[in-house]
Amino acid sequence: MTSYVLRRLTTALVMLWVVGTIVFSVLLIVPGDPAELLLTTGGADASTDAVENLRKKMGLDRPVAEQYVSFLADTARFDFGDSLIDGTPISETIALRLPRTLELIAVSMVVALALAIPAGTYAGLNAGKRFDRAASAVNALFTSIPGFVSGTLFIYLFAQVLRILPAGGYVAFAQDPWMHVQMLILPTVTVALHLMTIIFRMTRASVLEMRAHDWVRTGIAKGLRRRQVVRRHILRNALGPVITVVGLQLGILLGSTVLVEFVYNWPGLSGFLVSSVQQRDYPSVRAVILTVAAIFIAINFLVEVAYSLLDPRIRLT
Amino acid sequence: MSLSLPKPMRLPSLILLALVMTLVFGPMIMSADPISISVKDRMALPSWSHWLGQDEFGRDRLARVLYGGRVSLTVAFLASVIACVVGTLFGLIGAYFRGPFEFVTMRLSDVVLCFPPILLALLVVTLFGPGVTTLVAVLSVLYFPAFARIAFSEALRVAALDFVEAARALGAAPRRIVLRTVLPNILGPISVQFSLTAAASITIESGLSFLGLGVVPPAPSWGQMIRGARAFMNQDPTGILVPCAALTLTIWSINFFCDRLRDTLDPKHGESAGKDEIAKARADAAAAAAGPAQILDADVVAQVKDLRLALPRPEGPLALIDGVTLTLRQNECTALVGESGSGKSLTSLALMGLLPSAIRPAGGRILIHRKTGGTVDLATLGERETEDLRGNDVAMIFQEPMTSLNPIHRIGAQMIEAIRAHKAISAEEARARAVELLDLVGIPEAGRRIDSYPHELSGGMRQRVMIAMALSGEPKLMIADEPTTALDVTIQAEIVELLQRLRQEYAAGMSLLFISHNLGIVAEIADQIAVMYAGEVVEQGPAAEVLATPHHPYTRALLDSMPSAHEDLHSSRGDRLAAIAGTPARPEARPSGCAFRDRCPQARPCCAESRPELYPTGTRAARCFFAPGADQPQEREAGA
Amino acid sequence: MTALLEVSDLSKAYPVGRRGLFRRRTMQALAGVSLSIAPGEVLGLVGESGSGKSTIGKAVLRLIEPETGSIRFDGRDLRALSTEELRAARKDMQIIFQDPYASLDPRKTVRAALAEALDTHGLHTGQRRTPRLNELVQMVGLSPQALDRRPHEFSGGQRQRIGIARALAVEPRFIVADEAVSALDVSIQAQILNLLADLRARTGISILFISHDLSVVRFISDRVMVLYLGRVMELGPADRIHFAPRHPYTAALVSAEPSLAPRQARIRLTGEIPSPMNPPSGCVFRTRCPYALPECAQAVPALRPAGEGQLTACIRDDILS
Repeated sequence: MTSYVLRRLTTALVMLWVVGTIVFSVLLIVPGDPAELLLTTGGADASTDAVENLRKKMGLDRPVAEQYVSFLADTARFDFGDSLIDGTPISETIALRLPRTLELIAVSMVVALALAIPAGTYAGLNAGKRFDRAASAVNALFTSIPGFVSGTLFIYLFAQVLRILPAGGYVAFAQDPWMHVQMLILPTVTVALHLMTIIFRMTRASVLEMRAHDWVRTGIAKGLRRRQVVRRHILRNALGPVITVVGLQLGILLGSTVLVEFVYNWPGLSGFLVSSVQQRDYPSVRAVILTVAAIFIAINFLVEVAYSLLDPRIRLT
Repeated sequence: MSLSLPKPMRLPSLILLALVMTLVFGPMIMSADPISISVKDRMALPSWSHWLGQDEFGRDRLARVLYGGRVSLTVAFLASVIACVVGTLFGLIGAYFRGPFEFVTMRLSDVVLCFPPILLALLVVTLFGPGVTTLVAVLSVLYFPAFARIAFSEALRVAALDFVEAARALGAAPRRIVLRTVLPNILGPISVQFSLTAAASITIESGLSFLGLGVVPPAPSWGQMIRGARAFMNQDPTGILVPCAALTLTIWSINFFCDRLRDTLDPKHGESAGKDEIAKARADAAAAAAGPAQILDADVVAQVKDLRLALPRPEGPLALIDGVTLTLRQNECTALVGESGSGKSLTSLALMGLLPSAIRPAGGRILIHRKTGGTVDLATLGERETEDLRGNDVAMIFQEPMTSLNPIHRIGAQMIEAIRAHKAISAEEARARAVELLDLVGIPEAGRRIDSYPHELSGGMRQRVMIAMALSGEPKLMIADEPTTALDVTIQAEIVELLQRLRQEYAAGMSLLFISHNLGIVAEIADQIAVMYAGEVVEQGPAAEVLATPHHPYTRALLDSMPSAHEDLHSSRGDRLAAIAGTPARPEARPSGCAFRDRCPQARPCCAESRPELYPTGTRAARCFFAPGADQPQEREAGA
Repeated sequence: MTALLEVSDLSKAYPVGRRGLFRRRTMQALAGVSLSIAPGEVLGLVGESGSGKSTIGKAVLRLIEPETGSIRFDGRDLRALSTEELRAARKDMQIIFQDPYASLDPRKTVRAALAEALDTHGLHTGQRRTPRLNELVQMVGLSPQALDRRPHEFSGGQRQRIGIARALAVEPRFIVADEAVSALDVSIQAQILNLLADLRARTGISILFISHDLSVVRFISDRVMVLYLGRVMELGPADRIHFAPRHPYTAALVSAEPSLAPRQARIRLTGEIPSPMNPPSGCVFRTRCPYALPECAQAVPALRPAGEGQLTACIRDDILS
């Protein structure tokens, strides 16, 4: 077990390093001078001074090896340098905004798990019956609605037509807990809806697969109660694939909440990211992406460890 | 082409085709211009010249939706094609050459998977600025690893199949094997991935455009339209509703197509999958109405009476089991013998109330003598009562010891749960009992092995665990369904011996129903034998007598075709085995009259006319007009 | 009589499990196996799972690469052939598989599958193609109508016949039958065994017949080789191996075989088959052998003559005689 965890940990660290290296080398492989590229907007050439200035600012004038080493060292210390736009330290901005994004994701995840796992299990156990057909059809519809679309529609419905919830914005919990919760509802529902479609689908498929296994028949033949068979010989086995997908989705979610946050003016990482992209503030974009990738790798590491606790065979591989 | 489409694929293909046609040809036949601005007509309501009204700049909304869809589809299609071709190539190369190619393919996709897709897209947009070309490039880079991964693992799976090995053995060139044999067999999963990618590309393209980082204005795009109309959603809700609906409909129809495609290619994903024992057991009302269960003889443990099972089909039920009667007695081993499809396993599952839900009882009854005294009809029992009976009065072991134990629980936990299902004892007591049972079935160091996981034990050991588990309820009847078929010969002999020993020493009086296709094992273990063919019992009686002097031509032919029964024959001396011609009749193609007649060397015209009964003589019976005890065959012949 | 196939000292090890940082665990599938098959001869290969019998079948066709050993087919060293030469040489040696469901490409009609075989070696092209295809399916007991159907339309036994037709299409002189009848029902198994026996009698083809079923192997083979954990335990004429085994493992195997005729007391083996990753020293069978002596652990016993054309890898003469 320990050796399995250590091996996974090593893999995770290597991945982290590879991701960092790739993000770093993107600047090296773009055709032409990255500084010039970043300053080029709509075909208008940037002035030589500005380009020189930016090169200095981003350290592009130093030898590549030196840039690489200092990039890795800075990143490891959570120091991403200063924003090209307003000169504030990027890590401070991230430290301020990341918790808000994480809050949104965590609450949505809890809501989605609590609803989708029971629904998926029930649908999987009763595949082809009325509930399953209805739930699967609804699921297929919601799968097809991108988060920014459902977000926009929710604002129209709940904030404009019904006027029962705020259209967006953010108030710190400490400042006004009730308002904070109200403003959290729509973004949470939007993100959770998206998550639920995936978790429902996976749970249903996994339950459907597990229930066809011989050991389920053994469980029934032993005279176990139906509930016991479902819990111990179907759900426990189905959980492994489900948490793997949940882990993967958490990572993707970190990206796709960008749109939801943007729709609701939720001041998480997204606003920062979008404005950085618009203003072509490469160091800031790079920092956000590195942070997200690191969180993603960490989540996947935890998922792998959890999976190995659920299924002893995994530890052998 | 569309006529040859499988039925479930027709509707989604039609919808998708209609959508693509509209978006491709729609803009060609309409006159409105998606970018000409008309400020005085801002947010005009639908009219004859502008079916969907005009947007916040007075542009024709229908034209914008159609042109925008065209852009989305083009981006999605181009990106998916590039990702698909490049990825599949990568995957095939990785699978064929392995080594460093495999490493690069797999690791590359691991790394790309670390970046949430939309973030990677944003990173690139930061460097190159927004635009259609950038989008296509980013999306193909994003999605080609998924194709590489699928092509790689599917190619490996297919390459391990015997028919690929056969192509190699034939001396076919590697390039030919990859393109002509492997590639066609992995196209299914790849086409599913293609539709998934197309849907995801549209989502990301519209998302980026919504952020103002995708398609550059004034070129129309759905994401942009939503972005623009958001500010005016109060005055002009159509502005957001139209592009939202168009986007959702497009993604939905691709997903719908993809789902159906997946179900068609891999039936396991469909609803029909799975053994359905877990579906709630229902007491059979018809059987309950048949009156109270009869009293069985004191030494009869269970009786199957005239059992009929059928598979309901639109054109009428298909008989799978056709009037099987079996009497299982205390302290007796009854062997149920037959080839695949004879119905021997279905009969045994029926005794446990474990029939797949698709199969319906069509008649007959199953009576079980309970340990507590009294006889019950299985069909009249409710869910609870059936659960109480299973594992307690009747226990079962299965053919595949490798898959019959749950891999994620220790064997101890699986045994303890079986013991506690029927006895109100503490977990500690149950554990002690489990160790005792494991010891009894010959598992060395039972006290330590009880904490093993199934994968840590060999096949023979796992089958011993299954036997110990079956014994834990001290059943009166144990059903063993081909318990040694998956095991090696020497292990098989050990398991047969174990079952014999247990019957004598441990569970005195236990009845054993042993299902097997192997007459040699049956000769060693069985007291009584019932030979099944095409859903019927064709011969039954004391094992030694039936095997020594078979009365039914099928039993005789089965014995004649066994090499182990003819140790004096050898192929090099010109000897041949007396094989039965033809193949066992499938349920939907059973001949009239005697089910065996088209393979029977003794068949006469009368065999086609009516179905022979099971004619008894003394302790034996055979379902043949020419068996001892049957009506005079000569008379029948004369009458025919 | 010169041998058609002459194999000597064949060894094969598979890497297993995860690769350690420095050491790589291996499973010894075959250790120093030698065999020869004469033209028209059927050599039977028996053993339990893990005995390496399928590995031999694939290695002699070079479908997997052995670590050491030489394979001479008709006097030519197969291992010295170039890729191109090997592909041409495959015309003479074919294989029939165990699983009739996996051995045919589900997307190809019987005609396409057989034509592919003929095309590979440029046989019976043009006008002569159709008569040859008809002849092939009839040779294995199917009607020419079968040619235009796909595998899923056939039963297991019929698929096995198609697999045999594909192997015969290129007129090989040697066939490996890898558990070719094991997945079939008894009545169908007898049909296929008869078919193979007829083919051998008519065409003089040589067969390496691999099976775990001792009686089947005895019926079809001229000589039988018994394998255990990748090593040869005994080799000899089929009837001798079956009725007068000289190696305790063979004797145990024969006595464990389920049989209608009552047999003398079964030879009980103790314990489990050892892991091929960590085989016992000396004689690999000693850990389960009822006759094992301390000497058995010392050295790997060599095959030695034991009369009547039999060879045994047991050091004891005082048992089983």
